[in-house]
Amino acid sequence: MNQLFQFLLRQRIFLLFVALELVNLWGIFKYNDYQHTFYFNTTNRWAASFLAMGEEAKSYHQLREVNQDLAQENARLHAEIFKLTAQKQPESKIPYFISDGMLKRYQPIACKVIDQSTQMSQNYLTIDKGSRDGIAPGMAVISSTGVVGKVMSCTPDLSLIVSVLHTGNNVSAKIKSTGELGYIKWAGYQSEVADLQDVSKYKKVVKGDTIVTSDYNAVFPPNIPIGIVAKVGLEKDETFHDIKVMLLTHFSTLKYVYVIKNKLSAQQALLEQAKPKPE
Amino acid sequence: MSSSIQWKWYGMLLLTVAMQILFLRDLAIGNLGFCFLYLWALVKAPIQTPTALLLIGSFALGWVVDIFYNTHGMHAFACVFIAMLRPVIFKILTPANGYDERSSVSLAEMKALWFFPYLFSMMFVHHVILFLLEAMDGSLIGISLLRAFFSAFLGILIFGLLELFSQTK
Repeated sequence: MNQLFQFLLRQRIFLLFVALELVNLWGIFKYNDYQHTFYFNTTNRWAASFLAMGEEAKSYHQLREVNQDLAQENARLHAEIFKLTAQKQPESKIPYFISDGMLKRYQPIACKVIDQSTQMSQNYLTIDKGSRDGIAPGMAVISSTGVVGKVMSCTPDLSLIVSVLHTGNNVSAKIKSTGELGYIKWAGYQSEVADLQDVSKYKKVVKGDTIVTSDYNAVFPPNIPIGIVAKVGLEKDETFHDIKVMLLTHFSTLKYVYVIKNKLSAQQALLEQAKPKPE
Repeated sequence: MSSSIQWKWYGMLLLTVAMQILFLRDLAIGNLGFCFLYLWALVKAPIQTPTALLLIGSFALGWVVDIFYNTHGMHAFACVFIAMLRPVIFKILTPANGYDERSSVSLAEMKALWFFPYLFSMMFVHHVILFLLEAMDGSLIGISLLRAFFSAFLGILIFGLLELFSQTK
């Protein structure tokens, strides 16, 4: 009992010591301007970094919505670009005015990719919008970096897209700097690389040239980036260059795509149907 | 401890505190040496003083000095700290024959080899805590330690002189 009492007594002194020092610390940080500011700044910094951490976690949580917003905004900007490039005066002596219908010809719609493949030899994507949103088979699909493919079929709420990574899906293309025409054909393997075919071996092609969609493309608007020339090869007895193109669209990480509604496609099809067929 | 010595101690307490807050407040030697004479009462408190009493006393002492120094809590913090440290130093420095009822903290009674280490550890710890609390800045640790060292040295000088004078009486 006595020992316990001794122990408590010793503890009591130590507790008194701690209490007095706490009172002193309180006094130091409360009544001294500099120390008060120091305390305030330090705790503020801790609190701020803690809050910043929380904010970061929250913003990570919001990324989904932010992406959605950005995709919408991109669609709007794409529309603007189509309009502006169409408006651009061609370099010709003949006065040329673009009609209002041509000006508002392309209308992009932002869509989310919900399923896709890149490893097959015929690849397809599924997107989250369909005929209810104005999508119809035959429309072009691009990403923010380059071409993706074209719409194959639609349900009211979903659409299936034939990827450029499809051996049967050729895209009419041109070399941006020289305007040489050709077409892009995927070899059936390697989701990053496609071949540019039909470019005559007498034309100059340089590694690093940008390949874009051609002006005569029935599906894509002109000048959508496709890829960059990675390798130019030539077989002795061939007529055409053997060009490997590094595709600009990263298919394996594709999240959002833009389906491009061509408002004049029906008119064009109707006109071209009336072409007399050669017997 | 006879009552006359006790009265002398109280008198010296008032005197040292008054001197501290009236004269020594603005004294600084070379911006490094500061004299904290008011610690005399704490240093010279009888060895047998209960620690709790010593803690409360040093708290009050420090707080009073703080009021006049306009450094609320800093002197009190350092004082309470060395008041807690005092019994520990006593235990470490225990002389061969131990402390007896009549032992008091003085150069004449405890001899230099006990008195000066005791004085230096008390002063130095007090000054280090005080200057660091005052600076409150990691980049000033060097100058704070230098100040603490010089001030402790100055303290030993002054307290030693006081002891020599009281010895001659």
